Amino acid sequence: MTTSTGTTRRSPLLWAVAGVVAVLALSAVVRWLSKAVPAWTKGTGLEGVGAAVEYPVYAILLGLLGNAVLGATGLRDRLSGGFRTEFFIKTGLVLLGASINLSVIAQAAGPALVQSVLLISVVFGFAWWLGGRAGLDDKLRALLASAVAICGVSAAIAAAGAMQAKKEQLAYSASLVIVFALPSIFLVPWLAELIGLPAAVAGAWIGGNIDTTAAVTAAGALAGEQQLQIATIVKVTQNALLGVVAVALTAYFALRVDRSAATTEPVARQLWRRFPKFVLGFLATSVIATVYLAAVPAAEGKAAIGVVNDLRTWFLILAFVSIGLEFRVSTLRQAGWRPVGVFAAATVVILLAALGLAALLFRNFSA
Amino acid sequence: MAQQTSGDDTASPPPSRRLDEDWLAVVVGLALVALALLGVIPTGLVP
Repeated sequence: MTTSTGTTRRSPLLWAVAGVVAVLALSAVVRWLSKAVPAWTKGTGLEGVGAAVEYPVYAILLGLLGNAVLGATGLRDRLSGGFRTEFFIKTGLVLLGASINLSVIAQAAGPALVQSVLLISVVFGFAWWLGGRAGLDDKLRALLASAVAICGVSAAIAAAGAMQAKKEQLAYSASLVIVFALPSIFLVPWLAELIGLPAAVAGAWIGGNIDTTAAVTAAGALAGEQQLQIATIVKVTQNALLGVVAVALTAYFALRVDRSAATTEPVARQLWRRFPKFVLGFLATSVIATVYLAAVPAAEGKAAIGVVNDLRTWFLILAFVSIGLEFRVSTLRQAGWRPVGVFAAATVVILLAALGLAALLFRNFSA
Repeated sequence: MAQQTSGDDTASPPPSRRLDEDWLAVVVGLALVALALLGVIPTGLVP
């Protein structure tokens, strides 16, 4: 006999499975379009456009289209449990590690760490200060500063947990991240090409200034393979620093703002709990692939890494489709325009600061 | 009935779910890399 409790428990899971199926179906269309359109347009006046528009563009546009359709039919909220952007992007990044030689990571790690520490300090400080001037609640401005300075939605979630922010504040910050990240995916690679930035500098700029990891990957994929690799290394470094900022926020809010939020958990344990574990997977696959490629004939190694790259592309498409499906502007209307102004100003600061640091730290980078 | 979110709710993260998703991504990614490098997933199988 099925109890009503059992039915209620199962329903969200079934809806989540249906959500994953919807993401998979849209992703299959994206994969098909990204191969079919260049073939259709070949030899026509649109050949250049057909070849230039790559899978992240189809994925985000189809995700947004799916979002509109599911929203209109009232299914979006029910299916949203299957829109696992974080899981898809993290798995894609673990797979991406296999196509990056360990020596590239070793060379880029130093400048990436310096760039990340400077960017996080400057941009977090600026957004925190401006949020104070704009009269924002301490927790909201800390959330916005974390999101814009570190790694978007993941940083906002970690910071919200660290200082026990309201759910509405987290939802608002996450929505702002996506609203600003979506145009950046297209704008930053285009600007990098317009300015004529070398691949490594462009990658470091993309990884440094775009907030959310999925959007960094989409922009990097649009810019080129080397740009994608450097952008990912920079973003992964920022992700790794997330724990440090979360612990600092926990301490600040417990000691200065909300004493009830004090925790007895040791700092080392907090750092480990907040550390994004996919970074370990990313490093592990790079080590495994580097050793593997040194041990097998070149053709065999290339074919195997090609399979990993195809799998990676699938996970990135799943993530980009999910970004489009999760996009909402309604949350933004509830909090007014001051936080939007603070976030926009901080975005301009990180755009410029990341460009300067990338040009300085990656100008002589060669791998 | 859908759960209501009150204005006083805090965003204590869903730590177990987040960590699970993190580790799940590592496990799935490593497993797929291993299958590809060992030749279990042959070239051309992934569309």
